[in-house]
Amino acid sequence: MAPAPTNTQWSTDFDTARRQKLFQNPPKDRTAYPTLAAAVDPHIHSFNQIFVKGGHLDEAIKEIGTKVFLDGDPYAQPEEVGRRNRLSVKIMDVFLDKSVLPPTNKVSISNRNILPAECRERHVSYRGKLRARVHYRINNGDWLETVRELGQVPIMLKSNRCHLENMSPAQLYKAKEETEEFGGYFIVNGIEKIIRMLIVPRRNYPMAIQRPSYTNRGPGYTTLGVEIRSVRTDQTSQTNALHYLNDGNVNLRFSWRKAEYLIPVIMVLKALVETNDRDIFEGIVGTANSEGLAEKQFVADRVELLLRTYKVYGLHSRAMTRAYLGEKFRVVLQIPEDLSDEDAGTEFLRKIVLPHLGAYHVKEQNDADKFRMLLFMIRKLYALAEGECSVENPDAVQNQEVLLGGQLYGMIIKEKMDEWLNSIRFPLQEWGRKNEWKPFTSQEFQKEFLAKILKRAQGEDVGRAMEYFLSTGNLVSPTGLDLQQTAGFCVVAEKLNFYRFISHFRMVHRGAYFAQMKTTTVRKLLPESWGFLCPVHTPDGAPCGLLNHFAHKCKIMTKGVDVSAIPQVVAQMGVSSKASASLDASVVVQLDGRILGFCSPKQAKVIADTLRYYKVEGTHNIPLELEIGYIPNSNGGQYPGIFMSSQSARMYRPVKYLPLDKLDYVGPFEQPYMSIACTDPEVVSGDSTHVEFDPTNILSIVANMTPFSDFNQSPRNMYQCQMGKQTMGTPATALRYRTDNKTYRLQTGQTPVVRPPLHNEYGLDNFPNGTNAVVAVISYTGYDMDDAMILNKSAHERGFGHGSIYKTKICDLAEGQRKMRSAKTVNRLFGFAPEGVVKANWRETLDDDGLPRVGTMLRSGDVLAAWHNVSYDQTQGDYINLDGQTQFFKYKEDELAFVEEVRVIGSETAADPCQKISIKLRVPRSPVIGDKFSSRHGQKGVCSQKWPAIDMPFSESGIQPDVIINPHAFPSRMTIGMFVESLAGKAGALHGIAQDSTPFRFDEQNTAVDHFGHQLMKAGYNYYGNEPMYSGITGEELAADIYVGVVYYQRLRHMVNDKYQVRTTGPVNSYTGQPIKGRKKGGGIRVGEMERDSLLAHGTAFLLQDRLMNCSDYTKATICRSCGSFLSTTPTVNEYQRKNNKVFQVRCRRCAKLADSAAPKTEVWSDGQGLRYQGGDDVTTVAVPGVLKYLDVELASMGIRLKFEVGP
Amino acid sequence: MSGYQPQTSQTADSSAIDIHSRAVSYTCGDCDGDVQLKRGEPIRCRNCGHRVLYKKRTNRMVQFEAR
Repeated sequence: MAPAPTNTQWSTDFDTARRQKLFQNPPKDRTAYPTLAAAVDPHIHSFNQIFVKGGHLDEAIKEIGTKVFLDGDPYAQPEEVGRRNRLSVKIMDVFLDKSVLPPTNKVSISNRNILPAECRERHVSYRGKLRARVHYRINNGDWLETVRELGQVPIMLKSNRCHLENMSPAQLYKAKEETEEFGGYFIVNGIEKIIRMLIVPRRNYPMAIQRPSYTNRGPGYTTLGVEIRSVRTDQTSQTNALHYLNDGNVNLRFSWRKAEYLIPVIMVLKALVETNDRDIFEGIVGTANSEGLAEKQFVADRVELLLRTYKVYGLHSRAMTRAYLGEKFRVVLQIPEDLSDEDAGTEFLRKIVLPHLGAYHVKEQNDADKFRMLLFMIRKLYALAEGECSVENPDAVQNQEVLLGGQLYGMIIKEKMDEWLNSIRFPLQEWGRKNEWKPFTSQEFQKEFLAKILKRAQGEDVGRAMEYFLSTGNLVSPTGLDLQQTAGFCVVAEKLNFYRFISHFRMVHRGAYFAQMKTTTVRKLLPESWGFLCPVHTPDGAPCGLLNHFAHKCKIMTKGVDVSAIPQVVAQMGVSSKASASLDASVVVQLDGRILGFCSPKQAKVIADTLRYYKVEGTHNIPLELEIGYIPNSNGGQYPGIFMSSQSARMYRPVKYLPLDKLDYVGPFEQPYMSIACTDPEVVSGDSTHVEFDPTNILSIVANMTPFSDFNQSPRNMYQCQMGKQTMGTPATALRYRTDNKTYRLQTGQTPVVRPPLHNEYGLDNFPNGTNAVVAVISYTGYDMDDAMILNKSAHERGFGHGSIYKTKICDLAEGQRKMRSAKTVNRLFGFAPEGVVKANWRETLDDDGLPRVGTMLRSGDVLAAWHNVSYDQTQGDYINLDGQTQFFKYKEDELAFVEEVRVIGSETAADPCQKISIKLRVPRSPVIGDKFSSRHGQKGVCSQKWPAIDMPFSESGIQPDVIINPHAFPSRMTIGMFVESLAGKAGALHGIAQDSTPFRFDEQNTAVDHFGHQLMKAGYNYYGNEPMYSGITGEELAADIYVGVVYYQRLRHMVNDKYQVRTTGPVNSYTGQPIKGRKKGGGIRVGEMERDSLLAHGTAFLLQDRLMNCSDYTKATICRSCGSFLSTTPTVNEYQRKNNKVFQVRCRRCAKLADSAAPKTEVWSDGQGLRYQGGDDVTTVAVPGVLKYLDVELASMGIRLKFEVGP
Repeated sequence: MSGYQPQTSQTADSSAIDIHSRAVSYTCGDCDGDVQLKRGEPIRCRNCGHRVLYKKRTNRMVQFEAR
């Protein structure tokens, strides 16, 4: 019998033995924490979608299509060259290989895979080779095939191009990963990078928008518009917007290659299908004789005008209109010269007008769909102008979707390939120019095309472009990809602690564009976000409300679902293709931005309800993930209709569908019009259709970990979400194989006594983040004022909060020598120079090989590694050192550190001598006064004193607190959750049980205090958690009972050792002589205007003098009393005495006269040029700020003289 | 905290003679085998061809004052 599969059910219990077993024998079948892996699914699945069959890239190369190039001199007249030959090039397939060793490596035979762990250790990128199969032909000849290598593209971990995909925890452990490694990020130069999710407008939904900036488009433009972000199957998008003009006209706006264009919408309509004015009129206003036509005078008038004003173009047939468009746009669209204008117009419609309804192989049907959709958009625009419907809020999650990392990645790859194909034009022309414009049909061309022309095309190295994108987060793009920002797409997935790491994957950004906006509307927390974005988990400060985190149950679609059955089902329920004039008579039914038909509002409700029943039931081939956005008719509300969406990038979340008591998924678009009860008792019969599975589903992973967060004032929970991510915790269990620049680690992490069951479900006990501490709320020594806390010295000595920092130093000999490296070109080697002297003090930290000894202690200035210059000797096949000089990498930081690991890094080819080592240093950081701690309730404090245990207060049972905090921390902050945690922690510790701290579990009838109070009573303690305590100093009982309990404490990464800044003297700015800025450089802290005012007000003139003068740019300067100038004084040079004989005097050259022969010898002095002067001896020395002299010089250069009157 | 360094001078003496021809042993990052490398030799495990080697912990006595 096969062993039982790994249990994935978790409760709130400690499960110590079970976790221990999971650690000792990582499961061989599946992970024990599937919820954790599911949290990063959007990233991985979206990446997987790029390269699968029929994925984004397959669609993309179809959309790119065939590129056509013509031969001959492009500037020659057509009659001179005659008929030109066509070279057609297209990409057939794109493959991304897994990460393997290059063929130049002849050493490894059995295992040629490069695993991610190796890339981290070697500080290189985890990438695979991208290849494209390219077909090309000349004129109408046979297609010829070639395979091009497009460079090495970084691969997302655990994706379908990664070796780690489908690995069991046991295998992952063998691969030097975490057993619970979930991937979802890239490794670029050894750094873990993640593409941040981005909020973008909802796809394929025409949104009614009012924007003041719309009037800037030109005269007549109003603030009203309808915008649709039309997304192609390859996930690239094209925004089409309709603008409403004062006179009722409508223009279509779009951007192409970052330039904006506006065209009359009727022109597009007429180009799409063979139509007439009556069709268009009826399509917008409503069919003749339909209900409510009489009231539609507003729309009818405007449509009439729309059609009338279009007459000036005099374009009548579809062909004519297309030709007109094609002629105008063929240049910007880079359409080949030999294509007719009409075909160019068709190409324009394919690429730009509503491409979600057909972006390649466009058929008549697709154009008809586009036509109908455009008519609908005009209808909606007029409805908006008329006031029949309201504007929609682009900042509400209802009108948004998520741009996933994989989709963006695919879009960039597509664009780079497109650019590459386009760029073949340049080497082609160059070849032509050099070969007297030989035709493509010539022998030479066919011989040289692959070897000389295709190879020269710029941008073939897609891999490098992708690596650049990931490492900088900058988007270099000629089109801008329909996005509003060009930077900040990627961030480092810092493994500071596990909360921070996991948060990176659940993070979604509103866009860098909105960060500069002065209005705060985009940052608002809107009710539409319920269940999708966590209301608690957003940072405060600059990114507040822009950087959100998904609720932990919120999922993102990464793949469209099959909706082929829906048009049929909807048709059976009765929709007609024609719309009535009035919205009260007919509303639209759309699927993914395609109009299925129109029906009455009553029918619409029936259709929506029936479809929902079908989809939950799982019948009629209606997928569960379908979003049925039913917007009911209202009095001037959102434009009504049924808007179904099935495609990817949507958020959705699970709720229970009451009629069937089954799981249903709802999306943000439909949610505002649904009645979803929060808890079972809140279900209103006849109204509620759904109920939440759990009210905590609205919180993010990290927000869920705040115990009893429903008892706290809400900003405190936000603070905890931030501080949880800055805690010194356990970043990873495979720390041994990680080479992060800097990681923090808490040595004595514990599992919290008080935690929700989700803590176990997400496997957070694998990465403990704090310590349970006995906390007394008492004002004891006076050292706990103002959020300071007192640490029990004995607790500290037992390891409370002890942590260390791991820093990785890379010593690279080949740094800055970016060229082809091979064993022959090596010019530096690690180790001591063979012929040189080796000093004994070098050997204290360095081994025979010149690398540091593992385990040695380093202090500032110690040598880290030795190297020497070499040159390769061909005859001996050896490296010889000529100068006998040994040079060093040094440890420059002030703090003491220990060498933890030394990694000797070889090259990919495994043929080069050592050029790079990476040294991991450990800096011990036991808590000191000034280090920051916090509970899980936004109650942070600084350790102010390590109080000896004998002087700490003790309770009747002899318990002494580990931490003392001041009672004043509570009244204004109202963190009742911390009191409850204290109570629950105490009861849990006494009974040896883990306490469930899920929020929303208690109410007025069953209070938390009562629940835990009874547990305390059972253990023989006070019901309220207070205890009599005795002073540790006098032994007397304290007058009040003290609130003591167990609270989980986090040690934050902000430590004084990284922050203290002090100086008396030190480095100064060479220009001004004032102290420089910056802690790292030993600079000072500025005493600014306000500080100066404060010192002045206190009358501390001496202190002021000390700060502003003596400790700053105090300078002794010589000044001439009579002319009052700094600049005219000069030291004298004695003709007869030696230079370094320091008896020179200072004289004023300005007041001096050239000495005549009669002058007495004692009065004569000479300057450096040997000129002899007399007089000018009224010179004295004063102390001035150095910048004063500088100012004098600057002013002098402008012809302004400063004159100082010196007294007495 | 002062490091305890026994017989510093002696080690330096003996090693100064053949420090360059002497091989230093490392641990392979993949197969955990012992890899002896001399100066200028390519970095790889002889056994499995792995490209990351770890330096072994020093066999010198490492002692610090615990304060």
